[in-house]
Amino acid sequence: MARQVARGGALARFFLDILSASVSLPQAGRLVVWRVMLNQVWFSAIQAIPLVIVLSGIMSFLVISQAVRELGRLGATELIGRLMVIAIVRELGPLVTAVLIAGRSGTAIAAELATNKVMGEVHALEGIGIDPIHYLVLPRFVAAIVSVFGLLIVFDVVALVSGFVAASANGMSSTRYFDIVLRSLSLRDVWLTVAKGLVFGIVIGIVPSFFGLAVAGRPTEVPVASSQAVVFSLLMIFVCSALFVAITL
Amino acid sequence: MTDPLVFEDVVLDGPYGGVVSLTVPAHLTVSIVGNAASGVNRLAPFALGLTPLPGGRALVLGEDLHAMPRRAALAFRRRVGYVPAGDGLLQNLSLADNVALPLRFGTTMSPREIDGRLRIMLAQVRLDAVADLRPADADGEQRRRAALARALAFDPDLVIMDRPFDGIAGRAQIELIETARGGELAEGARRTVFVTGQFLPDRLRPRIEHRYRLVRGEFQTEP
Repeated sequence: MARQVARGGALARFFLDILSASVSLPQAGRLVVWRVMLNQVWFSAIQAIPLVIVLSGIMSFLVISQAVRELGRLGATELIGRLMVIAIVRELGPLVTAVLIAGRSGTAIAAELATNKVMGEVHALEGIGIDPIHYLVLPRFVAAIVSVFGLLIVFDVVALVSGFVAASANGMSSTRYFDIVLRSLSLRDVWLTVAKGLVFGIVIGIVPSFFGLAVAGRPTEVPVASSQAVVFSLLMIFVCSALFVAITL
Repeated sequence: MTDPLVFEDVVLDGPYGGVVSLTVPAHLTVSIVGNAASGVNRLAPFALGLTPLPGGRALVLGEDLHAMPRRAALAFRRRVGYVPAGDGLLQNLSLADNVALPLRFGTTMSPREIDGRLRIMLAQVRLDAVADLRPADADGEQRRRAALARALAFDPDLVIMDRPFDGIAGRAQIELIETARGGELAEGARRTVFVTGQFLPDRLRPRIEHRYRLVRGEFQTEP
């Protein structure tokens, strides 16, 4: 337990270090960070779009087609709107997107930074007066937030479209489907989705980098760091998701 | 004038242990060699505050980096040129981008000024033709030259080189040490250079004013 508390404290301090590093970044360094960040967004978000489309499309299609049929029998098709907004857009959208990025990019970030450490690159950066947080962590941190947001939007748009296809296949008109869904969507839902995207992005931006840089320098630590990073990221994502539900009930 | 590098009763942990003191005078080149277990590989990281000191003090340009806050120590290290063991180049950057990295993160120079300075630095270490190669595609000598150019980015008064000659040929060894010193004609304006390693090639001896060997926790003057 004490170890977990210490790790939590170290993570919090790491987060503060990232925030303070973002303020102290020199202008020419921003260009480098920007370039690394774009590379990360390419890998974490752009390359993951097909996967998100498939997952979101199938998930939304399955949920809505079943719901239209079952709720139709009860004469409660109106509830499809709330189901779509709460279950898919607000809950599953951020959660599935974050889990996907944590699993796909979190491992890569942790392994890459752990390898940087093992190869002596982190030590060399510090030796020549460059803060490793500036060059290695900050771009990945920003990229994680941008990627979660970007893929979250893709997920929700595809889910809405796929839900429409499912509803149409079960005899619901497009006007009625979009009317029900849009009437169910409130500003609060949008803010909650945005807040979740931000929090999950921060988790994915911090945890893998933290575990990657925590290795002492032995090559055998690299896979361990990757594994720990993903497990801890997923745990934090689910805990945060539960906290969101608890707070907003 | 402050001596550029001073080790005061520095405790060497490791098989041989020992407590060592050494002063590196300004404008001279000083080498310490010793086998892997002697603790010689610890001296450069100790000096730069990269590894915690078990005891004693290491003063660089009169400052104890171990006593500085992390961010201040990072900023201070830009006043020292450091060539880490291996080379420490970032594998995902070209040699040119590796050399430019300190300028991009440690100065307020504009990108155009940095590019101009970079061209001069690359020419100085004869890397212009291979500047776009990634470290993995360059040979050991080119990587070491890039690491040295990166260390000299801020034209430091003191250069610390950790095992710089491992795996490179004789002519390149001389070039490295001469570039680090500031050139054969630099004379009184030469940089102070501190070199550690497991061996010192014979052809470099005339270029190194003070040579020591670390044996069982003691510095012994080499002939």
